[in-house]
Amino acid sequence: MSTSIHLSRFRKWLLASPPMEFVIAQLRELLVGAIKQGPVPQHIAFVMDGNRRFARSHGIETVEGHNMGFEALARILEVCYKSGVKVVTIYAFSIENFKRSKFEVDALMEMARVKLSQMAQHGEILDRYGAKVRILGRLDMLKPDVLAAVNRAVDMTSGNGERILNICFPYTSRDEITGAIRDTVSEYSQPLPANRPSNASQRTPFSETHITQNIRARAQHTKADDLPSDVETASESSNEDGAPANNLPNQVYESGSSFSSSSTLHLGGQTDAANGRENSPRKEKAVYMSPETITRQTLTEHMFTGDNPPLDLLVRTSGVERLSDFMLWQCDEETEIVFLDVLWPDFDLWHFLPVLLGWQRRISKAKKNPDAEGDFDGESYEPTEESNGKKVKGL
Amino acid sequence: MVSQHDRELFRNDVRSRGTKLSAADRENILRPYLPDPSDLQRRSPQRQNKAHRRASVRTFVKAQTHRIVYTFVHIIFGIISRLLQSYHATVDRICAVIYYHHRTPELIRKDVKGLKRLPEHLSVILSLRKEDDALSVLMDEVAELAAWSVSAGIPVLSVYEKSGALKSCIPILHQAITNKMCSYYGSSIQQPRLRLFAPHHPVFDQLPQDVASDCKNGSLTVLLLSATDGRETFVDLTKTLAEMSQSGKLSPEDITLELVDAEIIQPEPDLLLVFGAFLKLDGYPPWHVRLTEMFCTGGRSSGTNTSEEAVEYHGFLRGLWHYAGAQMRFGR
Repeated sequence: MSTSIHLSRFRKWLLASPPMEFVIAQLRELLVGAIKQGPVPQHIAFVMDGNRRFARSHGIETVEGHNMGFEALARILEVCYKSGVKVVTIYAFSIENFKRSKFEVDALMEMARVKLSQMAQHGEILDRYGAKVRILGRLDMLKPDVLAAVNRAVDMTSGNGERILNICFPYTSRDEITGAIRDTVSEYSQPLPANRPSNASQRTPFSETHITQNIRARAQHTKADDLPSDVETASESSNEDGAPANNLPNQVYESGSSFSSSSTLHLGGQTDAANGRENSPRKEKAVYMSPETITRQTLTEHMFTGDNPPLDLLVRTSGVERLSDFMLWQCDEETEIVFLDVLWPDFDLWHFLPVLLGWQRRISKAKKNPDAEGDFDGESYEPTEESNGKKVKGL
Repeated sequence: MVSQHDRELFRNDVRSRGTKLSAADRENILRPYLPDPSDLQRRSPQRQNKAHRRASVRTFVKAQTHRIVYTFVHIIFGIISRLLQSYHATVDRICAVIYYHHRTPELIRKDVKGLKRLPEHLSVILSLRKEDDALSVLMDEVAELAAWSVSAGIPVLSVYEKSGALKSCIPILHQAITNKMCSYYGSSIQQPRLRLFAPHHPVFDQLPQDVASDCKNGSLTVLLLSATDGRETFVDLTKTLAEMSQSGKLSPEDITLELVDAEIIQPEPDLLLVFGAFLKLDGYPPWHVRLTEMFCTGGRSSGTNTSEEAVEYHGFLRGLWHYAGAQMRFGR
């Protein structure tokens, strides 16, 4: 028993000695620089789990455990940003966490307030390194003094933008998704600056005359390939002096009686014709944006992380293997989720390195032969005979 | 890497809630750890002086060193992961021999008997392979999983496959599962009752008359999911809500978490098994995996085909064991 204590003390002493510290620091630098040479995930999310268990197992106070967790965060952020990660998202506080003891919640809030206001004192350093801090979550659930510190830190760094730290503060993913839906809906129920509000009830975004116009324009262009130069001039002349019936291309522009010369000019070129078809109906008719234009992308853009690159990697420590309402939407098709069996305060480069290396290995492999990990490519797979379904496997 | 001395200073400051050190003090502690700002100013127009050139030589040497280290580390890492992979593959082979179901529900029940808990709802992510008989292989996998689940006593199994190919052949799949059950349970009277359905499809439920027989060996509900049941449902919901809001039937403030939760009706799985080399959700419906335990069987099929792994019994069993060992906490 005593020998192990002596040994650990000796190890501590050795690791803390200046030459050893120097060597380890150099080694870290070297490894981080090396990681930078390969593909690096652009966006990493961390669930910092295990602070309390760490505190319990080391016989220190819970708050102390959270402080250690903060140190671990600083270490890992250093690794991430130095190796070229653009965005790091951390799960600092869940809305569910408000259920914890008041003492702990207050301590966590106090810690956030102190850290954020300390950060605000170092604006110059943050500016120099282009770091941007954003708080994602329900800010309305925070106390006023914490909120003030949050706003100050966010405002100060909002001009920077190369490296982003997203702190999910009182956050749950379901809340975020709901918020995104709500924002999208309220955005779509803002009336467009339209000139004819009477059309609000009957929204017909495509006008029939337009479609016939475009079909004819298509036909005209295929025929008019031989004489591409004089289309525009011809159309202008037709608008001016009525109907020269002998000229085939010109007929297109006459038939639509309500057509103004500005829209006929759209038909001057093939690409312009296509653009005109997309833009003009919205301009003329829609008072609201059509809900049919909502896509997955629209919702993604309305998430808190809308302008960040897609999430490449999600790391959760402490061996708990679920997402716990974090980044549910963002964990899309290619996000790799890693669960590590280490408590967050212990988390360091040495645990993170295999994850990063594995990711790099997979990505560079996928780059080398893109077929190996392709998606379902839409070939028609015929449902085969029932007899095939009985095929025995596993032996 | 922060030196011990500075760490002590920092911790003392933290203990006194950030009052001991002034802002300038903290910056002084921090300074040695910050990277040289001149490294970052590469976008400024380059000044062609000698000092700069020397610096660029230094960066060149540094970059080359890093490149070499990168290659070296990756070679080592590759070797280690290969070794680990083959070790796991060997262990898995042995496991596969020890734990084999032999198509007897009793054996499967024995394998899961000692477990503290079983998932009420098991969910599985499968992928369609690229070969010609991919769909029949997939259906066979689903049938196997259904048989194992019902034998283990799991009442609900949901199968996620991205493209939704399974949904197009529900009757054939039902037949395939029934045939598989036949080989496990013998004659059709002994078979557990099977319900098979997909969102927006009717429940496929043959033999509704023999209600008496299904009590004996339990029942199984198989739910088929695909990528359209995930994020696309949210898109549809948003479209509908936007339309309602535009016609004044609802204000955006009415959209609450409870409303969305009530609209997105899907069962919440307890355990999600991913048969693949690494854990990715592949577009799985996002709303209901909030508290789902995830388990990835890992790329252990010794590198023959990287991303697609066969669905094997011991992978299924490992997932259940893992689930039984995990403890549940609701944010507390």
